[in-house]
Amino acid sequence: MIIRNQDKINSPDTIKQQFESLGYICSDAIATSVYLACHLQKPILVEGPPGVGKTELAKKTSDLLSAPLIRMQCYEGLDEAKALYEWKYGKQLLYTQLLKDQLGDVMRGAKGLDESVSRLHQFGDIFYSDEFLEPRPLLEALRTEDGAVLLIDEIDKADQEFEAFLLELLSDYQISIPELGTIKAKSKPLVFLTSNNTRELSDALKRRCLHLYIPFPSKAIEQKIITAQVPELNDKLKHQLVEFISELRDMSLKKAPAVSETIDWARALLLLNVDSLDHEWVKTTLNLLLKFQDDIEAVEPEIHNLLKVATKEN
Amino acid sequence: MQKVLGDFIHALRQAGLPISSAETLDGLNAAQLVGIDNAPLLKQSLGTTLTKCLEHRLIFDQIFDQFFNSHNQFNADYGHTPQTAEHTDIALPPIPMLSLESSLAQQLMSGDVSAMQVMIASAAAASGAQEVTFMTQVPMVTYRLMQALGDGALQQELAEMADRDESSAELQLLRQRRIRLQQHVRDYVEQQYLAFNQNEPSKRREGNLQKISLTSIDHRNYKLMGELVRKAAKRLASMHSRRRRITKRGLLDVRRTITANAAYDGFLFHTKWKSTRVERPKVMVICDVSGSVSKVARFLLLFLYSLQDVLPNVRSFVFSANMGEVTRLFEQHDMDQALAEVIHNWGNKPTHYGQALGDFEEMALGDIDNRTTVIMLGDARNNNEDGNVAVWEEIYRRSQRVLWLNPEGQVNWDSGDSIMRKYAPFCSHVETCNSLRDLNRILGSVLKHEA
Repeated sequence: MIIRNQDKINSPDTIKQQFESLGYICSDAIATSVYLACHLQKPILVEGPPGVGKTELAKKTSDLLSAPLIRMQCYEGLDEAKALYEWKYGKQLLYTQLLKDQLGDVMRGAKGLDESVSRLHQFGDIFYSDEFLEPRPLLEALRTEDGAVLLIDEIDKADQEFEAFLLELLSDYQISIPELGTIKAKSKPLVFLTSNNTRELSDALKRRCLHLYIPFPSKAIEQKIITAQVPELNDKLKHQLVEFISELRDMSLKKAPAVSETIDWARALLLLNVDSLDHEWVKTTLNLLLKFQDDIEAVEPEIHNLLKVATKEN
Repeated sequence: MQKVLGDFIHALRQAGLPISSAETLDGLNAAQLVGIDNAPLLKQSLGTTLTKCLEHRLIFDQIFDQFFNSHNQFNADYGHTPQTAEHTDIALPPIPMLSLESSLAQQLMSGDVSAMQVMIASAAAASGAQEVTFMTQVPMVTYRLMQALGDGALQQELAEMADRDESSAELQLLRQRRIRLQQHVRDYVEQQYLAFNQNEPSKRREGNLQKISLTSIDHRNYKLMGELVRKAAKRLASMHSRRRRITKRGLLDVRRTITANAAYDGFLFHTKWKSTRVERPKVMVICDVSGSVSKVARFLLLFLYSLQDVLPNVRSFVFSANMGEVTRLFEQHDMDQALAEVIHNWGNKPTHYGQALGDFEEMALGDIDNRTTVIMLGDARNNNEDGNVAVWEEIYRRSQRVLWLNPEGQVNWDSGDSIMRKYAPFCSHVETCNSLRDLNRILGSVLKHEA
């Protein structure tokens, strides 16, 4: 996957341009991290407030490398059976039932338990072979022929034990299955881990990863993002929108509006045929930006002042 | 390059960043990949490989600029600037150039910046510039470094030239360059000091502050102490706030096993094992902010604030005579503001434990259950009022554990108006707590027992 796309990732600048052509506007830091991850073959741990495009980064990278994206959403209680592999119990059961008669034939004439068992042994571990293995995201990522982009989303939501279990995968790109032995990656996948910082991740995990923090974008980048996502929006409104949002982020809110909210808002304003921000429109659409009633109540009396700043520089 | 990066990483470690050797290798690989010509790119690359959280990244950025600045500064001032180049061309005809004997003089006049830089760096390594531990050592090391560069021979030559012709332009220029070199060497040494040892004294001071009694900390150290407390609280919380599930291996949970295997016709494929789930601790902290403990109250509050910041399920109360819950106040305001408000509203008044406990009974007694830990930070000096011990006993009976941390030494308990002996029977632990180290140790053990 890496070798095939060498020309697309031969420098951070190229990556940045490629991302831009895919509609993902990124900062130098992001491009550099992706570049290093590709070339050093190390996982990236992406952190940042919700809605700044952490998951999107993985998706776009998979587009860029035209590799399949394998996504694993983490949650409390996630375990090996759901993340790595499982035996197909139902199938195993069905087969044993169907093969009952044949087993009877094999066993016929065997004297004593020892001989029956040794006859059974001649057939090997039929029921614990590849046929009966149900691969889950992690195993699938290792078995993809030409490398895949593996997204382990919200790793901080998973338990501590699961994090420890990931270590082998992240450092050696291999996994041990007791019945089958160690499975090595056919081609090393590019791994993204995202975290919202609901708990501190272990040092062992952090040590194995590159670390990328995505902050809220600067005004210029945000304006570019909106241009890419909502191209129909006129420049004046775009400018006001970005200014307004950046003012909002400076207020102390429970949850500051992220890029995804900005885009939603831009789409909504476009749909409503608004061509310049005014008090009424902002007030009626504020619930798109702010997700807490407390925040909305705190912002509403301030709208006038915020608008003054946002529209002034035009 | 390896040497430079090695030094850089050493400087980072001195500043308190935990950088392992594996990360060092990653950093080297990254630097090899991107090259060292493009400074912003190198900074990004090293930043993403060496640091693992935002806080560390900010420190990294600062040190990166400080560390690599010296090199750039050198380039800008020396040799390459057009002005100097002009001077060299005009003022120095080739013949007097040849007459220079000492190697340093030739080096200086050649204006070869990179060679000069290499010379300074290697001389610095030889004369131990990195071991400067005090600012006052800088001139001494500068002198040593100059000697190592061959300043002796240069000065001798300068003296000889002065004898021959005091007013020669060549002499003036050479002198000027020597002074400039001296300046650079001095800057270099200072830079080394800043990069490697700046944090050493503060580390030492932090160590001392951990041990010092809370009552004897003066105003100057408030800020540093605040940071230390916050660090300590964060460490404690990250160690203990996890919810753990302890699997009792070997004990089959029959009920859940049968349920889980109903789909397989009763064949027991999945086995389910019994496990006990350990819940996160629920903590209520009560803090005395009255006049008698005013000196320590600030730090207790600081710790309280930090603890609530990092642990879920902490409720905070403060009192002198009346008690108030400050959980929401702490949630909504930043530290300084919250602390100021608490001290303004409740602080520095005469203590009345009886009344305070009465208030507590109304506010929170009903919420105490057998998973709750109650922590009291106070000196039990009650101004000879009624202690209302019955409430305290009720708290003790309902909660899982009650901790009393007294900032006074044990010899002072029960002296004067302290009624420690009345409360002590209804506490799981009573401990003296008057330094940050005590606080760490005690709360660490609380949280450990809890998990």
